[in-house]
Amino acid sequence: MKLLKYATYRLLQSIPVLIGISVITFLLANLGPGDPVSLMLQGQEQNEQLVRAIEQRYGLNQPLHERYLTYMGGLLEGDLGQSIHYRRPVADLILERVGPTLLLVLSAYAFALITAIPLGVVAADKRNEPSDHASRVAALIGVSTPSFWIGIVLILIFAVKLEWLPSSGLVYPWRPPSTYRSIDGHLELYYQSLRHLLLPMIALGTLQMATIMRVERTQMIESLQGEYVKLARAYGVPERTILRKHAFQVAQLPIVTIVGANLSTAIGGAVIVETVFNINGMGQLFVDAIQQNDYQLMMGVTMMLGVLFVLGVIVTDISYAYIDPRVTYGESE
Amino acid sequence: MSSEPLLRVENLKTQFFTEEGTVRAVDGISFEVREGEIVGLVGESGAGKSVASMSIMGLVESPGEIVGGEITYKGETLFGLEEGPDGDLQERDDMLSSEEIRTRIRGNEIAVIFQDPMESLNPVFTVGGQLREFIELNRGLSEDEARAEAIDMLREVGIPDPEERYDEYPHQFSGGMRQRVLIAMALACEPSLIIADEPTTALDVTVEGQILDLVDDLQEKYGTSFIWVTHDLGVVAEICDRVNVMYLGEIVEKATVDDLFYDTKHPYTNALLNSIPRPDRTVTELEAIEGVMPEAISPPSGCRFHPRCPDAREVCKRAHPDVKVVADGDGEPHQAACVKHDAFDAGYDQSPSLEGVAVDAGPAAAQEPESELTANPAGDDSGGENRE
Repeated sequence: MKLLKYATYRLLQSIPVLIGISVITFLLANLGPGDPVSLMLQGQEQNEQLVRAIEQRYGLNQPLHERYLTYMGGLLEGDLGQSIHYRRPVADLILERVGPTLLLVLSAYAFALITAIPLGVVAADKRNEPSDHASRVAALIGVSTPSFWIGIVLILIFAVKLEWLPSSGLVYPWRPPSTYRSIDGHLELYYQSLRHLLLPMIALGTLQMATIMRVERTQMIESLQGEYVKLARAYGVPERTILRKHAFQVAQLPIVTIVGANLSTAIGGAVIVETVFNINGMGQLFVDAIQQNDYQLMMGVTMMLGVLFVLGVIVTDISYAYIDPRVTYGESE
Repeated sequence: MSSEPLLRVENLKTQFFTEEGTVRAVDGISFEVREGEIVGLVGESGAGKSVASMSIMGLVESPGEIVGGEITYKGETLFGLEEGPDGDLQERDDMLSSEEIRTRIRGNEIAVIFQDPMESLNPVFTVGGQLREFIELNRGLSEDEARAEAIDMLREVGIPDPEERYDEYPHQFSGGMRQRVLIAMALACEPSLIIADEPTTALDVTVEGQILDLVDDLQEKYGTSFIWVTHDLGVVAEICDRVNVMYLGEIVEKATVDDLFYDTKHPYTNALLNSIPRPDRTVTELEAIEGVMPEAISPPSGCRFHPRCPDAREVCKRAHPDVKVVADGDGEPHQAACVKHDAFDAGYDQSPSLEGVAVDAGPAAAQEPESELTANPAGDDSGGENRE
């Protein structure tokens, strides 16, 4: 199983990257302005003894490298420390919040890919015809409009004006909310889930869709000019088959790269979209952590996002190796 | 000629309509291919060889278009124009539709081998899969039959372990092996004619030799006709039966291979021959052809080769020669498009050379009035079209 070996190899390769991320975020969180102890003692009289006791308890009196090693030791056991603001384990908080964010990011990508690929192919096929120009303008608007603005406009139109869709929150298909008493059966749950997801998904996915569409168009045009397309034509392959199979397959390789490379943009965008739609995801947790100067939470969330990003890149690499036969699996054979 | 040729191309004109102007890539060429022969189409880059062969397949890409002439294959019209009721040229009724050309001609009647074996195969599909797809499509075989046929064909073109290599991807094949795959592809569809567009140009010389031997053997075995497009006269000498030499969209000389090499009638062909090493001649230095081929947007007046022609005279600037029979040749009339031959009767001998120095006649001839002189004066058929 060459692919499995390659996947393991890539996973091992990601360890130094993750260590690097942890060092940088640890330094930034600890060297940044704001003192967690004074934050904890907000409104209370600060006496030397109390401060010492807190520093002792959280290990803040130790030198930086020792604190880092302690933190990493805990990390290996799944202990990300205690959130100062929420007064709960960071790991629990992240586990609660990672689901909605993943749901949002993945569905935004699904939306982007499902719409962008056919549109890109059509634009390439009908190059310089009206539909191509229309898609070019749409892509330009999509790339240049910030996701929070799209989100607000969507809420104004579909939630406030038309009252078709809810304006905030998410319903998770894996956990029926207690507030929705009317929900019975899975179908209703999925339906509600989709209704809630639709607007934030579009708000987050539009940028990805516009980017992917343009790349798809360019790649298809290039692929359609390939010698192998000329050969297929010369052997009487119908134009439709060439578009769907011969030219299409080659053109998808860069799309995989784009999806992987834009993952950071998508995760960053999720933070904003979650705020606009009041979704309790990682984004909101991150904003809270920064606002409350909750450095343990900040560290935890950053590490988690780092892991998500690295995993995304690995999945990209593996799928690239899977669909492009020319990519060798790491080591030479 | 005993029977109708397999393919007849008459006065074919293919032009590209670009912003800079109309490129007359193929400008009125005529040639034919008979059953079981290899016909060469020779010329420098940009002479219009590839455009001519793509025109036959109906695969000229926009902004290019066939604007005139007639292409007949096995008695069917692949391209033909006639004058419509409003006086404009329109496609003839008996011309095959593009759908008919796609399903009935491409692949199963006329197949191609392209120049670049590296780019011609699709990088994301297996070699066998691509071969099988074309066989299925053009011979109406089932998937399993096509697979068996593909493996047989790979073996036939000399690919070792064809069963295993069937499932490999193009990047796992060397250039020569890929070209063998393309040859297998062409032959497996059992066409009557294969257009080979510079198939060995991208290969090194030893591999080229192997491929030429392979084609020679397979051609004998299957009896397939070939149009062999190349710029390499060495390859022509090795493989072709008859040759058409192209220059700037026109055919300037047509002859059998032996006639072309030993009784060269056109200065361009001569210049081409002098520019390559030949085993039958010893020279201290090869002569390159002076200058570069002009653009096909605005070809030179008169004979298109005259600015580079060592034999050019004043008349060559004005008279535009079409190919004519200039010698009997060896079982095949030898045709050339050069006014220096008697068949043209264009006054070449009296015409001063281009440097202004009279060659045969006195200086008086230089003041000869610029009459509208053409290479084919009306009613003069002394050259004769066919002298059989």
